[in-house]
Amino acid sequence: MSVTLTEQDILKEKTEYTGVHPQKFGLWIGMASMSMFFAALTSALLVKKGDYRSWEAFRLPTVFLLSTITVISLSCCIHAALISYRKSKFSQFRWLMFFSFLLGCLFLGFQLMGWSVLQAGGMTLTENLSGSFIYVITAAHGLHIVVGLFVMLVFIVNAFRNRKDPIYELRDIINPKRQLNLELLVSYWHYVDAVWVYLYLFFYLNYQ
Amino acid sequence: METATAAHTEHHPDIHGHEEHHEETFLTKYIFSQDHKMISKQFLITGIFWGIVGGFLSVLFRLQLGWPNETFPFLESLLGKWAEGGKISQEFYYALVTMHGTILVFFVLTGGLSGTFANLLIPYQIGARDMASPFINMLSYWFFLTAGIVMFFSFFIQTGPASGGWTAYPPLNGLRDTSVNLGSGLGFDMWILGMSLFIVSSLLGGLNYIATVLNMRTKGMNMFRLPLTIWALMFTAVIGVLSFPALLAGCVLLEFDRLLDTSFYLNNIIINGNLLGYKGGSPILFQHLFWFLGHPEVYIIILPAMGLVSEVLSTHSRKPVFGYKAMIFSILAILVLSFIVWAHHMFVTGLNPNLGAVFTLFTLLIAIPSAIKVFNWIGTIWRGKVRLSSANLFAIGFVSMFISGGLTGIILGNSAIDIQLHDTMFVVAHFHIVMGVSAFFGMFAGVYNWFPRLYGKYMNETLGQIHFYGTLIGAYAIFFPMHFMTGLPRRYYTYANFETFNNFNFLAEFISIAAIIVFLVQIVFVVNFFYSIFKGRNVEVQKTVDGHAYGNPWGTTTMEWTSPIERLHGNWPGDIPTIHRWPYDYSVNGREYIPQTEPLKPGEVPHE
Repeated sequence: MSVTLTEQDILKEKTEYTGVHPQKFGLWIGMASMSMFFAALTSALLVKKGDYRSWEAFRLPTVFLLSTITVISLSCCIHAALISYRKSKFSQFRWLMFFSFLLGCLFLGFQLMGWSVLQAGGMTLTENLSGSFIYVITAAHGLHIVVGLFVMLVFIVNAFRNRKDPIYELRDIINPKRQLNLELLVSYWHYVDAVWVYLYLFFYLNYQ
Repeated sequence: METATAAHTEHHPDIHGHEEHHEETFLTKYIFSQDHKMISKQFLITGIFWGIVGGFLSVLFRLQLGWPNETFPFLESLLGKWAEGGKISQEFYYALVTMHGTILVFFVLTGGLSGTFANLLIPYQIGARDMASPFINMLSYWFFLTAGIVMFFSFFIQTGPASGGWTAYPPLNGLRDTSVNLGSGLGFDMWILGMSLFIVSSLLGGLNYIATVLNMRTKGMNMFRLPLTIWALMFTAVIGVLSFPALLAGCVLLEFDRLLDTSFYLNNIIINGNLLGYKGGSPILFQHLFWFLGHPEVYIIILPAMGLVSEVLSTHSRKPVFGYKAMIFSILAILVLSFIVWAHHMFVTGLNPNLGAVFTLFTLLIAIPSAIKVFNWIGTIWRGKVRLSSANLFAIGFVSMFISGGLTGIILGNSAIDIQLHDTMFVVAHFHIVMGVSAFFGMFAGVYNWFPRLYGKYMNETLGQIHFYGTLIGAYAIFFPMHFMTGLPRRYYTYANFETFNNFNFLAEFISIAAIIVFLVQIVFVVNFFYSIFKGRNVEVQKTVDGHAYGNPWGTTTMEWTSPIERLHGNWPGDIPTIHRWPYDYSVNGREYIPQTEPLKPGEVPHE
């Protein structure tokens, strides 16, 4: 005679204290944590820039500006996807998600181009600490992008899989759990995009 | 097969009508469980395993330190090439010291302690059915276990486990060249991988704990009605979430140095007369990143123990916690200060003395909230009806240990004195007492007190008392003499070449004997733990409602005992009870205790 509760039963009534869903709140704490990670890396850069006499100055590859524009468009695009999901415009939702995914891949492409520009200019990973930091920090950020792309892909596959059968589409798509997960994903993307904007500005100020 | 299917169908006559109704299988119940209580047990038992391993390693290196000239043939059969002729090799000695620190600091006192009690107590004591995200909670355990497996397997590789100290300082650990240090090879790569997985586990756990406490409290449970355990566990999670990423960043840069030849921490290294190509790095950078976690880490270890002890002392002294809000604000003060004292580990690195003075000031400030807490604990048991049960004994022992170790902290926190004492046995004595033994005492108090909640049974009280007195006397016997080994450097394989240290030979031998006895006493605890799971005395049933038996073994006010004795997914069979009062109504209104769920009587003034 035991009661079995689903995850939704367990979590439903609980937005009264902070006004948001507990899992979204958890994601915010995760973001604080990730911010500390990037703060540690960038402050390490500042420390080394300050105390290393042979720190080599070089121009930041212009392609990083393109990456920045790409992530900003990605944020707009995935947010538009969330809005169309909320308005039950599923076809629009699917395609906006798909474009967001492409923009994410494009971003990674630009980052790789940035690396090859650095290589071509003689600033390899081990050439000078000033370059090493760029590689490590962009790689660490890129890993966050890859994780986001992977989760996004799961959503896209789910969204496209059931599009032929409206009943399945409704059952699979209109469910609070799915909407919550989508909101979490969109928040995550806004966050990693914002981190890149921060990193770009940080690099811009330290390398020009 | 047919019967099984029949039984299954019988059990679920309309299975298609309730797709969300799920049955627990062995796999979902015991292995991939998302139930906070089961995850808590998983953390606890994994932690016990690591405790035995970590403790045993210290016994091994105490053999070397206590009897540097003896040989122990059984060591060769146990360790093979690491102890040829029955004498632990130098390389393995350093591996033992390194892994002892790593395992006990991270895998037992961080993962084992926070993991066990945050998972067990947070949902129970705040009145939640489970964590904010049970799935992430499960992931947290599995990352913890995987991290442990990676660490454990590094013992069995050719070059042995990491041996450059648990602090993993470069340049020693920055080179993969095993001609410099055997453990800097693959063993250290595994250390980095294990630690990274561990950090992920701790972050996933931590964000869940915070989100749960802030969002999932039951009706009436405002923040100032939370038991101190919950405050402590939540602040611990906050510290972990904000400081562990710095270590992760430090480890990432270190691994780049090792594998891809960058020079974040390395500069002009000469090996066998060859100048390596590293230029520009600074090992001090690693120390900053490491201790930015490393110092808050000691509070990650001690705060949960403090929370458990506050609760246990109050329950077993039948008195309200003295200075409830002072306790909370003290933990908060410790949380804030813990982030701005890290450089007191680095006084001898050539740190600017003026900066050292600032860090000294902040370090000594921590004495204030710590002293407030100690005062309040003593105030709590003062004139209480103190039960000398194993749980309470360990809680009182915690306070004793915390005072003994805390006093030497005031000495060590001074940058001027620390220059003499740095890396001596005095430091070893200090942090083992204040952080290692104290945290263990808090953890034992917690295990004895909440074992009935975990398993519905009591632990054996006689064995518990033997465990307590053995550990208390033994721990002082180990660490108290270390204060008097003036100037004896830590981490040395042998002191034979230093005549001045010869007069410590007797003390070293005495400490080693005590260490072995304490280790054996811990076996009593392990036996008691597993014996009691199966054969322990059952918790007395106080009432039975709707087929659910309820008990309250210690007469506790907090919510965990408003849930039935048996493990129940979702914790409460019906609605979650509402909270009407603060958690420490002991010996008030002529009653021994009043549960938090009991409404105020007309005219009764609530505590807050």
